Amino acid sequence: MTKWLVLFRKEWLEMVRSHRTLWLPASFILLGASQPVTTFFMPDILANASNLPEGAVLQFPTPEPFEVLASALSQFGVIGLLLVALSSMGILSGERSAGTAAMILVKPVSYASFVTAKWAAAVLLAIVSFAVGYGAAWYYTGALFEPVGWREVGASALLYALWLTLVSTLTLLFSSLLRSAAAAAFSSLAVAVLLSVAAGSLPFEQSWNPGRLSTLAASSLNAAARPLGGGIGSVWLTAAVTAAVIAAALLVAIRSMKRRPSEA
Amino acid sequence: MALLTVDQLTKRFERETAVDGIGFAIGEGRCVALLGPNGAGKTTTIRMLTGLLPPTSGTIRFEGMKPGQDRREWIGYLPQTPAFYGWMTGREFLVYAGQLCGLSAKEAASRADMLLKRVGIDTAGKRRIAGYSGGMKQRLGLAQALIHRPKLLVLDEPVSALDPIGRREVMTLLGELKSETTVLFSTHVLHDAEELCDDILILSKGRLATGGSLSDIREANRQPVLSLETEGDLRSREWLAGWLKRLPDGLEAASATETGVRLFAGDLETARRSVLRELADNAADVRVSKLEIGYTTLEDLFLKAVSGS
Repeated sequence: MTKWLVLFRKEWLEMVRSHRTLWLPASFILLGASQPVTTFFMPDILANASNLPEGAVLQFPTPEPFEVLASALSQFGVIGLLLVALSSMGILSGERSAGTAAMILVKPVSYASFVTAKWAAAVLLAIVSFAVGYGAAWYYTGALFEPVGWREVGASALLYALWLTLVSTLTLLFSSLLRSAAAAAFSSLAVAVLLSVAAGSLPFEQSWNPGRLSTLAASSLNAAARPLGGGIGSVWLTAAVTAAVIAAALLVAIRSMKRRPSEA
Repeated sequence: MALLTVDQLTKRFERETAVDGIGFAIGEGRCVALLGPNGAGKTTTIRMLTGLLPPTSGTIRFEGMKPGQDRREWIGYLPQTPAFYGWMTGREFLVYAGQLCGLSAKEAASRADMLLKRVGIDTAGKRRIAGYSGGMKQRLGLAQALIHRPKLLVLDEPVSALDPIGRREVMTLLGELKSETTVLFSTHVLHDAEELCDDILILSKGRLATGGSLSDIREANRQPVLSLETEGDLRSREWLAGWLKRLPDGLEAASATETGVRLFAGDLETARRSVLRELADNAADVRVSKLEIGYTTLEDLFLKAVSGS
């Protein structure tokens, strides 16, 4: 356990020194805050745009506050996921090709600790970044529109954090399997997109599909729309399946490092 | 007493057998060189010892290790090209390595300071490793291998990548270290092995060609050898070609060129006499430029062993 903490601390220090602990939260805050702010000023922005004909009347329905937060989540779902995948795409393949993995794994350190410490650090950074970004979105929504209840926001944040954790874990998994960091980022994003698209478009019940998580997070913001899609039991099923997928991905990544701790 | 015993160690890759059933023992406190040309299986053997590569078959056993104990606790390893985190300082890396080997933070810090001084880079300890030169990285590599006081220090080609000065410095350092712990290092340079080692293991094409203590091997393979060179004019060459066909008993050509020959001899005195008589009889024809009478060196043995005879 002490060794695990030593490994974890090194990962965190690396993220601090490479300024990842600055730019990832900063990007999420920008994404999260810009959504309520631009929605609020949208009528003014459009009215001041010079290419509108004289006398045009613009009528915008004021969006419900939970809709503003949901659109912030959809921002996270595109650019946020991309940033998370990019920030940890070389997490294992980089160490393997540089040879540092071999330097560390000849020490009496377990392969599981080596991989899970990296995973925990990457996931922690992703979740903290998301939390501050979502917090910013929540604050500006409350300030510019109307406040959204903390229960709804909390539930949606938990669901969304699980989705982010899954994407981070997939990036780590592909980073252990593929030589190229870019290919790892692309693969994990492709899987995430496939899961979400399948959850949204296929015409049968998919309580097991982790791709449902982002939609669930968005719909859990609307207090009136309860119970959530398919009831609370099916949400738990989705969460359980996601956790199982995360655990399996970690096991595969550990095995892959054990089989091939260094290139050549 | 043997610290490490290796038996029937084999590694097969998809197409080729890199290491083929080698077995040897390393005595406690000895300095052992793993010699062989490039591609002989040295690095594969070392990577199996350190646990980076699972052997296809065979056993690796440390004397006195508890069942289930991690072999890596006893091994300090310096790979051929050590890699570090460039964003760490040298001292940070040593402390990190020490803690991963189970030292407490305080102990790791004091060992790190001690070793930085020991390998001569204490002034660079607070600088980022990204700015280190090749020689400094090699020394930092040695320091991190020693951090947990390993019983066996394993070094893969420790001086191959260094310039002559760096090489000299690391060799001196190794000379000091070998009195403190058991050392196994691989090299393709015979001279480095002769300078430092008690024992040598010669690998050729994945097999163990010869192994044992340096002095024993030198003694056992000490064979009288004559080497004769002529000026290479026509008459000398004709004589040489003719003489090689009617060599007296007890003389055997090891290698011959147009102008000279190297001969293994059964008995030095008879050989000396017969060669000198032959030369005296043909004094008019043969222009000898060099005649050397002595014993085979380790170099001869090494060449014979690795040329796959």
